[in-house]
Amino acid sequence: MKSGKLLALAALLASTAISANSAALPGNAQMDVNFTLPKIDTSMYARPYVAIWIEDQNRRPVRTLELWVGKDEWLKDLRSWWRKVGRNDKALVDGVTSATRPAGHYRFVWDGKDDKGNRVEQGSYTFLAEVVREHGGRNLIRQKIELGTQGFSHRIAATEETGTVTLDYKIN
Amino acid sequence: MKHKLKGVALTCAAIAGLAVSVSASAHPRWILPSHFTVSKEGGDWLTFDVTASHGTFVFDKPAGSESASVLMPDGRSERPNFVIRGKRRSIFDFEFTEQGTHKVAVNGTPTYWTKYKAGRRDTVKWLKANKAERDAELPTKSRDVITQLSFTRTESYITVGKPSQSALEIEGKLLELKPITHPADIVEGEPVTFQFFYNGQPQSGVTVDVTRDGTLYRNQQDQLDLVSDKQGMIKFTPEHAGRYLLRANHKGELKNNPLADTSSSNVHLTFEAVLQ
Repeated sequence: MKSGKLLALAALLASTAISANSAALPGNAQMDVNFTLPKIDTSMYARPYVAIWIEDQNRRPVRTLELWVGKDEWLKDLRSWWRKVGRNDKALVDGVTSATRPAGHYRFVWDGKDDKGNRVEQGSYTFLAEVVREHGGRNLIRQKIELGTQGFSHRIAATEETGTVTLDYKIN
Repeated sequence: MKHKLKGVALTCAAIAGLAVSVSASAHPRWILPSHFTVSKEGGDWLTFDVTASHGTFVFDKPAGSESASVLMPDGRSERPNFVIRGKRRSIFDFEFTEQGTHKVAVNGTPTYWTKYKAGRRDTVKWLKANKAERDAELPTKSRDVITQLSFTRTESYITVGKPSQSALEIEGKLLELKPITHPADIVEGEPVTFQFFYNGQPQSGVTVDVTRDGTLYRNQQDQLDLVSDKQGMIKFTPEHAGRYLLRANHKGELKNNPLADTSSSNVHLTFEAVLQ
């Protein structure tokens, strides 16, 4: 009896904890992404395939922001993105696909919406970028982000296939 | 001294020879797909190597691919489009055009060996015969006669686009492996669960080893040795991405089988653990 009451109380507390967190992002919140593909000196340079996406705290994909690819035959080489997103939703892939790009700086904005166009709830998320290059290497970078009512800036160090990446979450 | 050594060597060779002829796992047959995942729109051709060898993904004996089959996502079975048999392996190609998970298998046919004792020294002898055939061939005073069925499933899974479940189902015959972790979801550093069944029932005590590709270029096999639990489950974590060969064996009694008293059945599964 006593433990039953305790369980009920715990369940109540848990549900309030969830509902306290389940507020949507503030309407004007957005995340600016500054992304760099480094110039790589090599005899066989091919533009890399790039996938940039957001996952929730259960590591489920929420939104694919950018997908820069060529032939679909090689989509599977974006191993992590293919397994989590690409193979499951062809319409999504078609909707977000764009051409591969040369080395350089790129800036884009995440409007805080999921793949279906709904604003995500406040909470913990992960920013992921996977870059894979024919004749070259592969890097998967991750950054935990807390989306709420406070802004933040993150700087992700360069890897072989990615230059410095910065994330700026702003509530204007 | 020299003669003595030679004698020992000969005896060893004789024992080894016997083991090869009797145990199906002496030279385990396995299959190696060129790819496990297809993302190309409209599908793609994949090629498969089939051989029997002691090395993990090292070609040795020309195991045939004539019995190869592809269990399609909708449950029908197809045959490979091309089959070639070389001296040390066979090859087949198949065009995968349907979305979902396919089970590719090169299963053998059951073989029967009868073990018996004969002569004044109770020498153990083997006869390639099943229970129905053995009486005609056994010497009159044979003792401890027992016939064993040997059967090996050699299999792998291919996924085109979105993974599906139907090809993972078992058929309820002898030893089978049911992937609880989907073969397209095996990732380095993440736990994998497989379940073993014998004649359709979860089977405990199945002995399993799992070895990653590349044994030629490392000093230790680094194989995982596992035994299935009460529910027939094994759990393990592939530490590195790569291609893996899993070999499982179970020896069981056969009840009311007209051809054999016991069985030794194997599952040889090739799978990949992908990068994080």
